[in-house]
This record gives sequence, structure tokens and C-alpha cells, in this order.
Amino acid sequence: MEEIVRRLMRTGSITCSASDSVRKVAQILAVNSTHYCVVTNQSHEVLGIISARSILRAFGKDLDKTTAQDILLPHTFTITPNSTLREAIRLMDRRKIEHLIVTSDREGSKAVVGLLHIEDIIAKMAQEEQRTA
Amino acid sequence: MRVCDLMDREVLVCRLEDSVKDVVRIMKVNGFAPVVAVDETGEVWGFISRLAVIRFYGEDLERIRAEDAMRPYKFEVDPQWPIEKAIALMKKTRFEHLIIIDPHAGPKRPIGILSSFQIVWYMSQIERGRYAQVLRMLAAWTPSGS
Repeated sequence: MEEIVRRLMRTGSITCSASDSVRKVAQILAVNSTHYCVVTNQSHEVLGIISARSILRAFGKDLDKTTAQDILLPHTFTITPNSTLREAIRLMDRRKIEHLIVTSDREGSKAVVGLLHIEDIIAKMAQEEQRTA
Repeated sequence: MRVCDLMDREVLVCRLEDSVKDVVRIMKVNGFAPVVAVDETGEVWGFISRLAVIRFYGEDLERIRAEDAMRPYKFEVDPQWPIEKAIALMKKTRFEHLIIIDPHAGPKRPIGILSSFQIVWYMSQIERGRYAQVLRMLAAWTPSGS
């Protein structure tokens, strides 16, 4: 049976505010030992995601004046819980991103229901290999 | 700040002839870090990222060689480089990890890895290992959006 995103996605995430400085976002990533951070607005709606690579690209700018809003990867590349893992991998590969925002598959809804991490896909591959060995 | 001040000295390696199954196992056991592909002399040939590995999801991983999954790596990053030079190379090449080469060995021997995450640490201005400072900073923060 084809694996679906729902079974691998995580429901909790590290967040920052769109108005936070890039320096603060870097501190959030460093302190939490994570490579990404979900950016939300004041109403807690998801605007996008910031990765370690996004922060790297901001090197040379004034990190205390540049905000999360300025460097985020927009909330465009999303997947739904019932999408297949292969579809998610194709999207990650095409966009060169290691984390995908999972949105509700109810019609008209843009609610975020989780995140799919590349680590969990590799763990799944390792688990399947162990099972077939 | 120099590259050697920030780089991770633990480099995960596999041989060119190893299978992607081996690479997946190495990644899983070592916190899902990327892997450097080396030849029988220990010289760097390529770099296997996490994205490169998941492309083979659903395939017979034992039949695919590390050499077929790697991205050839042709840079020679010296541990004494200033960090700004390494960051410029990362931005230009879109490599999120740089393999640091031993300048005193003949062949390209890997002695460290510099990742975008280590650059994030550097940009955050938090001293690594200074947990007291981290805790003070956390205590001073108000939760996002509040």
C-alpha cells in the first residue's frame, strides 16, 4: 500500500513571528537545534517557513533590522495529509526543501495540520530496508 | 573567525561502492547528517545530501551505489579560511555543507564539515556551550505573537 503523508507528519513545530529579526530567528534555530522555523503572523496564521539556508542567504545584511518576513519561503509549497509520500518527495526535490507544511485537505481550508520532515522519510526508508533484510 | 573554529570535526564517510542502503543506515545512526563519499585512499569524491537519498524512496537501495547518489565535490576548503569566504562559497554554489580538506595531506582528505546550521549558530551570536547565556536569553524572550 502506498505510504501517505499523514502517517509520517509531525503536528508540533517551532515558530517565530513575521516581525522577529533574523538574528532572533537564528537564535531560535540554534537554541532548539532545529534547521527550520514556521513563520506566523499576529493571528497565528502560517505565512511560510525559514530554513538554515534562508538565514545563510541573509548573511551580510543587518540581521537586527532584517525581519523573518523578508527572508521566509512563502507558504506556497504545501502538501495535504492524504498526499502520497512520493508526491511529497517530488515536491521537496523540485524545490530543494527539506520540510513541507501539511495543510488540511478540506475544500477551502488552508489550516496547517502538520509538518513533514526529511529525517522522518529517511528513518522510514531505513525501517523498510530493515524489514525486508 | 576561521572555518576550523566552527566546523564539525566528525565527518561521516562511505565508500564509493557502498550501497544507498548503507548510506541510509549511516545517516539514521548518526542523526541524519549528510555523508561524504571517499575512494579507497580516503580521498573525497562527492557529497550525499539528505535530498539525494530520498529521491530513491521505493527503489531497491541495495542495488544503487553511493557513487550514483553523490554530487561530485570539487572544492578545496581550507580550515584556515575566514568564515566569510566559506559563506560566500556556500551562497554561490548553493551547497549547504562544505567539506573541509586537510591542507597538509596529499589527497583530498576530509577533516571537517561546515554546515549552514553552524553558520546559523555563528550568526545568532550565541557562544556554543554557553548554556547559561542561552537560558538567560530564553528567560528574556516573550513568546512569539504575544
